[in-house]
Order: sequence, then structure tokens, then C-alpha cells
Amino acid sequence: MTLAPSPSAASRSLRDRIRRRGRVQSAADRAVLVMHDVAKTYPNGKTALLDVDLVIPEGDFVFLVGPSGAGKSTIIKLLIRDEIATRGQVVLDGQDLARLPRRAVPKIRRKIGIVFQDFKLLPTKSVWENVAFALEVTGSPRRKIRPAVDRVLALVGLTAQRSQIPSQLSGGEQQRTAIARALVHDPRLIIADEPTGNLDPLISWEIIQLLLRINELGVTVLMATHDADVVTALRKRVVALEEGRIIRDEVGGAYHRAD
Amino acid sequence: MIGFVVFSLRRAWQGFWRNALMSIAATATMVLMLVLLAGFWIIQTGLLSALDFTESKVEVVANIKLDAAPAAITELQTRLEAMPEVAGVSFVTREEALARFQQSMREQGREDLTKYLDSNPLTASYEVKLIDPSYATPIADRLREEPAVRNVLDTKDTAQNVKAVTDILRTAGTVILLVIGVIVLFIIVNTIRLAVVARAEEIEIMRLVGASDAFIRWPFVFEGAMVGLLGAGITLGGLYLLSDPIGTFMVDFFRVLPLSFGSLARDLVVLVTSAGLGLGVLGSWLSVRTYLIR
Repeated sequence: MTLAPSPSAASRSLRDRIRRRGRVQSAADRAVLVMHDVAKTYPNGKTALLDVDLVIPEGDFVFLVGPSGAGKSTIIKLLIRDEIATRGQVVLDGQDLARLPRRAVPKIRRKIGIVFQDFKLLPTKSVWENVAFALEVTGSPRRKIRPAVDRVLALVGLTAQRSQIPSQLSGGEQQRTAIARALVHDPRLIIADEPTGNLDPLISWEIIQLLLRINELGVTVLMATHDADVVTALRKRVVALEEGRIIRDEVGGAYHRAD
Repeated sequence: MIGFVVFSLRRAWQGFWRNALMSIAATATMVLMLVLLAGFWIIQTGLLSALDFTESKVEVVANIKLDAAPAAITELQTRLEAMPEVAGVSFVTREEALARFQQSMREQGREDLTKYLDSNPLTASYEVKLIDPSYATPIADRLREEPAVRNVLDTKDTAQNVKAVTDILRTAGTVILLVIGVIVLFIIVNTIRLAVVARAEEIEIMRLVGASDAFIRWPFVFEGAMVGLLGAGITLGGLYLLSDPIGTFMVDFFRVLPLSFGSLARDLVVLVTSAGLGLGVLGSWLSVRTYLIR
């Protein structure tokens, strides 16, 4: 893939161009994520990813599928810069993560909202506090925290449960709390790592519906999953990994290759 | 900036109470370690005072010839007092020497044989106190050359022995204090690390939502400072309540003058507070660092 300037670049305003100076210009300039020729070899010699090329444009909804150990987790770790690619570029919202100084990592993480299989909620804090926590620890002023938290709790439908602690909630409600927390920073990208892995099928569908709604509001969603039924039913873009390589990338795909 | 400090202090306070058992364990360890440190400091101070006291006992005694002219004796005293090594000179007359001898015989319950004597056989003497026992030998040598001096009591060995013992005790005391300090540091760091490990999940979430290192670190550092200051407060309170028995013990055991006691109390407040604060802050800093380097 060559990195050519976007055709619309010339018509862009001067201010916009100055703002974007220094960022990696690519064919998918409006892409939230560009991975180019990425390889990742861990210090123990195990190669987790090889020749990965992936472009996710703004507003996309992408399923990342593949057996355990295929490299899904490694991709997610690269995106949140928990790991750095051994080779190639990982460009998130125009910034090359490998060249990002350590200081700048927290800022880039605020552009991503992450949702995990095990929710990762703080057990002693209420729903409202768990969501507000994400803003508090990033230094948001208190007057901005209240409306932002109220807004995302309304979006995920947990306004009534705002004062409850996680152990008083159902699994689906806990996951919706985690999604609210992921949304509260207004992220460019939501990464959901097996978000329905701990939930029964009915509740899983609720969570998927919620992610679809968030996607309709314009947030890009990358969802790693094993749930074949969901992937096949929705006919969204499917990126399949196997042994560290992308073996399939098709829009409207099923979980398994249509042979 | 103010918002950040308020946030960190608030989180430190919440962290301390949300994990009360861990905080109490860390504080208790801190108190134990500070008591150990303070106890050893007290012993060390007592020991040093006792050593100073012992060293001040080292003196050179010059017996004066019976036929020495009074003018020569006075002149010798003036010259002795002018020497920089000399802390003080006291003149013991022949009569005083006899009286001392008689008293010491009485105290030992022995018969006073001096009553069979026609005249006082004892000489007058100068007792020369030194600012440091190591000057005993040169001063004794110089006194031997004085014409008015009959003989000089040979305190050379005593002085050297005292010097050797006090030097060893001083060095050993400093070394033990340092070793205790290092052990205390390790124990405190480990205890605080346990408290931090118990909150590893919270730290992980903070990292994932994009909290900067400062926002993760400082609440823990403040919490460590709280543990340290609380531990120091409890330790100093305990020492204050026990100050009477400690004072009695020191006077009985080391014969330290009460004069040095006021400065000891001040030293202890500074030592315990700074050690508690420093160990708490350092302990949390090191513990939370493990989670930030990635």
C-alpha cells in the first residue's frame, strides 16, 4: 500500500493543514486506524503478528475474529500502546504510535475507549463514580464531569442504576457501565475485546445493539469476538486472523469463510 | 495544578480508608520500625554521652616537688591553662591530698595509718583535664620536663585504652544505625508495596483510560506520606508518654546529664518525623513505579 496524499488535501483550510502538520499523511487520511506492514515478535521469540495491513475508516464497524492465539490480543495491545510493533507502522488518529514519546501515551489512550470481557469495574465505586473515574484521573474539571457522565449513562440506559455498585448489577448492566466509561472521553475508536464473552446470548445481543447504536452516532468500533452467530447475523466488515496474519478482510462477511 | 493536588489528596485519603486493613498494617509496621530506629538512636546518644563522660575523666596528674617555690607553681598553672589541649587545671594542696587519702581509707574500711606519721608525706599536685584523651601522652611528657614537677602519674595506657574502646563503640554504633535504617527501608517498602499491589486493578484501569503517570503516582505518594506521618505521630506520642522512664533509664544506665536531654528530644522529633515521611514517600514511589514503567 502506498501512502499518497488525500485528493481533498488541497481544498482543506490552512488552519486544518497546520493542525495536521507532522502527522502521517495517508491514503486513508480520514482513517481512525492505519496498520501498515506490521509485525510483532515478543522478546521470547514468539511471532504474534506478521505482514498485517489494516485500514479502518472513520465510522466503520469491524469484527476481529480468529482462534485463540491468532493475534487479536496483540493487535489490541498495539493499539493501546501496551506493546510496540517490531516492524511497520501503527497510526492511530494520524499519530504513529511507535514514535510517540512515553509522555504522550496517556493522551492517545483518551482517544480510545476500551471494553473488556471482564468489565474491569472498580467494585467499591458506584456506576456513576466508575464512569466519572475515567474523567477524574485524566484531570477533567469537576464542572465538566457531571454533565458528561450523566449524558453517557443516559446513552447506555443506566441513569436509574447510577448509585448502585457493580455487585448489585447484572452482567449486562456491568458491561453497559464499562461501555459508558469507554465513551465518556468522546473517543475516536471503541475497542471491545470479547465484550460478550461473559454474557448469555440474550444479554449479548443487548450489548451488540448498544455498540451498533454507538456506531450509528459516528464512533468507530473494533470488536474482537468468538461469537460466530453475532458476526454472521450482522454482516458487517470481518477481519479474520490466523497465526498472526490477516487471512480474510471482507465487508458483509460471516464468521467463517463462505466456501 | 491546585485541582491536581486536591484530587491527589482526596484520592490518597479515600485510598487510605477504602483499604483500611492494609493501611493499618502499613502504619503498624511503620510505627514498629520507627520505634526501633528511635530506640537505637536513644541508646546511641546515651552511649556517646557516656563515652564523652568517660573521656573527660582522662586526666594527667603532676605531683609537685616538696621544695618547689610557690611562684614557680603559680607560673606553671598559668602556662598549663594557656595550653589549647587543656580543658581545665585544678590544684590539689598537700592538705587536701591527705584528706582525700584519709577519706578513701575510711570508705574502704581500712585503718588510717597516717595518724602514726609525724608529717604529711603527700605532695601537692595539678590535675590537668584534657579536651581529648589523645593529648594525655604529649602533655605528660611536657610536664615531666618541668623543674617544679616531681613525677607524672602514668595514665598513658588508660588513655589509650579508653580512646580505642570509645572509637570502636562509636564506629559500631554508626554502622548498626545504618544497617537498621536499611532494614527499616526494605520492610516499609515491602509493606507499602502490598498495599499498592492490592490496588493493581485500579492502577490498570487508570492507565487504560489514559491517566498520566502523575495522576497515578501522586495519590499513592500522598497516601505513603500519610502512613509515614501517622506512624511518626504515634511513635512520638508513645515516646512522649514514656519519656519519664526513658529519662530515668538513661540517667541510671549512661549517667547522662539532663542537659543533653532537651536536644535529644528535639533530635528525635526531627529524626522520627523525617524518617516516617521519607520512608512513606520513598516506599510508595518505588512501589508504584513498577506499574508505570512499560
